[in-house]
Amino acid sequence: MRNYISVIGCLIACTAIGTAQVANKKTLTLDGAKKVVAAAVAEAKRVNAPGGAIAVVDDGGNLMLVERLDGTFAAGALISLGKARTAAIFKKPTSLFEKIIRDGRTPMVALNDFTPLQGGVPIEVDGQIVGAIGVSGASSAQQDEELAIAGANAMKTMGSMMGVEYLKGDKVMEAFKKGMPLIENGQYKIHASHRDGAGMAEVHSRDTDIIYVLEGTATVVTGGTVIDGKTIAADEIRGASIDKGETRKLAKGDVMVVPNGTPHWFKEVSSPFNYYVVKVTE
Amino acid sequence: MQRLFILSVVALMYGSAVRAELPTKPVLTLEVALQIADAAKEEALKRGSTVVIVVVDEGGYPIVLERLNDTQVASVEVGLGKARTAAIFRRPSKVFEDQVKNGRVAALALPGATALQGGIPIEYKGKVIGAIGVSGNTPQEDEDIAIAGAAAAAQAIANAR
Repeated sequence: MRNYISVIGCLIACTAIGTAQVANKKTLTLDGAKKVVAAAVAEAKRVNAPGGAIAVVDDGGNLMLVERLDGTFAAGALISLGKARTAAIFKKPTSLFEKIIRDGRTPMVALNDFTPLQGGVPIEVDGQIVGAIGVSGASSAQQDEELAIAGANAMKTMGSMMGVEYLKGDKVMEAFKKGMPLIENGQYKIHASHRDGAGMAEVHSRDTDIIYVLEGTATVVTGGTVIDGKTIAADEIRGASIDKGETRKLAKGDVMVVPNGTPHWFKEVSSPFNYYVVKVTE
Repeated sequence: MQRLFILSVVALMYGSAVRAELPTKPVLTLEVALQIADAAKEEALKRGSTVVIVVVDEGGYPIVLERLNDTQVASVEVGLGKARTAAIFRRPSKVFEDQVKNGRVAALALPGATALQGGIPIEYKGKVIGAIGVSGNTPQEDEDIAIAGAAAAAQAIANAR
């Protein structure tokens, strides 16, 4: 935590009180900014983005770090800065302003220091905005924003890792009744999973599932080939069933690990079937 | 070599020129620019300097910019200006500062020039392929740090090859 965020004194002139009051505010450090850029660059490589200029600014919109990937058009470096600055000093993603203007609020373009183009996202740590990231030069404005989000999430992950997570038992029990995520961040997810019947065959390319059965029984097929598989998200395929593969009966107390990229299918389930899943993201 | 320098074709609009006759030019890559910035940063940390370090391409546009912790924010624009000046005029920005000091005040009117010491061209085989600009400290120290960065270019290019 101390490596990435330092606490500085922020002077507030309170003349009425007579003495100057000082409030502490988290500030992004260069190391933190590097972490953000690295995450955006990794995402750019993962999705094969044709380019990308990535800028990180502090909470005042002041530039901290820029990296322009090979082949990205030159102006990208300055546009990414504009997006980042706008997201930081208005404390909102720039896509919001692009939409507001497109929806008819044209006079807004006259604001100072304002680049209302999708691709700027605030960086938040423990609920405070400490800066922003802007991306320009990827395949589309949408992809610009996706890379920016991947970058900003690197700090969110850090934020949650820095603090201890604690969930009360009754909340966890409540989550199991419906089957709900308990914790989700860029590195892992914990789900309180609940099933009343068979599921679809799934493959997720990034998440490894670590399963611990708490209640009920289920027949699970792993490996093999997914039938009628459709890509439903960037890293996820779902299909009707699995051809071949290995079949196991799971019961209370069992642990199973399904590595990322491995097809798996809850073929038969005795209701209620509750299981605790840790999904580790590659 | 390919990873390092994309030999990009300069599209010169010679009416009758065929593709094969177009000249090529070496281009600074992110990988090399990061190593140049790292060398400058190392020099800055050794001196305990708080500075902004900027590496730009030959057109003066940023490839890498780093503001070290606790560096005054105004140095972002100044550093960018110094780097751009060294790149597009293909000479150290100090040249213009000296001209102004020596009485050629008109140099301040040069388009795109920041007439302040601290911008150094990055050369490869005698050609300027970009520049580094440093701002935040005394003019001499800024320039020393920029020189340390530019001096690492040859090694960085060799590493990348």
